[in-house]
Amino acid sequence: MCDVCGCQLHEHHHTDSKVVEVNQSLLDANQKQAESNRSHIEKMGAIAINLISSPGSGKTTLLEHTIDALGDSLKIGVIEGDIETERDADRIRAKGVPAVQLTTGGACHLDAPMVHGGLHVLEHFCHGAPLDLIFIENVGNLVCPATFDLGEHKRVILLSVPEGSDKPVKYPTTFKGADLFLITKTDLLPHFDFDMEEAQQEAKTIQPDLDIIALSATSGEGFDQWIAYLKALVAKQVS
Amino acid sequence: MHELSLAQSLLEQLLGLARQHNADTISKVTVILGPFSGIVADSFDFGFNILKKEYQETKEAELILEKPTPEYLCLECQHISAMEPAESQIPGVAGIITGKHSCPKCNSDRLSPQGGTDLILKQIEME
Ligand SMILES: Nc1nc2c(ncn2[C@@H]2O[C@H](COP(=O)(O)OP(=O)(O)OP(=O)(O)O)[C@@H](O)[C@H]2O)c(=O)[nH]1
Ligand SMILES: [Mg+2]
Ligand SMILES: [Zn+2]
Ligand SMILES: [Zn+2]
Repeated sequence: MCDVCGCQLHEHHHTDSKVVEVNQSLLDANQKQAESNRSHIEKMGAIAINLISSPGSGKTTLLEHTIDALGDSLKIGVIEGDIETERDADRIRAKGVPAVQLTTGGACHLDAPMVHGGLHVLEHFCHGAPLDLIFIENVGNLVCPATFDLGEHKRVILLSVPEGSDKPVKYPTTFKGADLFLITKTDLLPHFDFDMEEAQQEAKTIQPDLDIIALSATSGEGFDQWIAYLKALVAKQVS
Repeated sequence: MHELSLAQSLLEQLLGLARQHNADTISKVTVILGPFSGIVADSFDFGFNILKKEYQETKEAELILEKPTPEYLCLECQHISAMEPAESQIPGVAGIITGKHSCPKCNSDRLSPQGGTDLILKQIEME
């Protein structure tokens, strides 16, 4: 029996089947929201940076030290993405910087609509005063965040020394979409067999235009380069 | 994890298309999954086949996932080659391992993945 109309004949519905060429990206909705986030961020006067890494590579620590190093020279806002808790946002707020916590409730990445909501809350926190830099700390995950444009201007991938120098080869999609590769926790180099040459070369092969900075938040090594990178980014926006 | 939400947005798009074309059922759905999209084909397929049962229009829909062969640009000689993914080092886990291939023209292993980052709804068949 045909379960569409209950008749005894099979054939009649199946003869008028119709093929439609759709050719539309399933990521279109996210992409459109990302474009609108980008202009929203620019209207706020800012440049946005999307920080992507595995859990614990040092994203929040990097932000804490960056806030200290920049002092009052740039106005910063932060959007924190985590599966649960306000902990990372609280760490940023303790530095006197406005921070919005987005909890994804299980989702493994931030997407553009979530960040759109976060931008409005951030604007509210700043009472409409312009910002220079907005950091978006993605959910700790080296895979999923790579698929979703958030409306950022630069995508920064962090890889810490204890994770191993083979990660660029193992996660090509993540590195392909990156603008800057930060090798973090370089103070630990003496204790791990991290091959600096391998990490940099493989990452550059996947993404030839990639910038690379190696740094340690703990020892401060390489941090000047990162701060100079940020200042240059913001300066370009102004001119 | 996000494969499930992408499968859900695919289904929503399908329901809209069925309405738009006055179709009762969608029988076949063809999706192109870019080799560098970061989306796991098996998880996407699994999610789709669970979620499709929620709707009358899609519960019989067959999902066809087209997976184009990954392409690489040789950074030494600029030759573009298509290559089957290398054998994964981890049993049961499919993987694309760059840097393990070499260019068929100049033998360099400096191969950069090209394109293939999208997930595209290509075609549907409705009744
Ligand atoms: N030795 C050393 N440890 C560091 C450095 N930066 C961060 N850590 C430590 O690494 C751990 C994780 O740092 P977080 O900054 O919380 O990492 P995260 O990437 O924000 O983590 P999630 O938000 O959970 O993904 C902490 O114990 C930090 O103290 C560094 O430069 N050197
Ligand atoms: Mg953190
Ligand atoms: Zn995921
Ligand atoms: Zn070549």
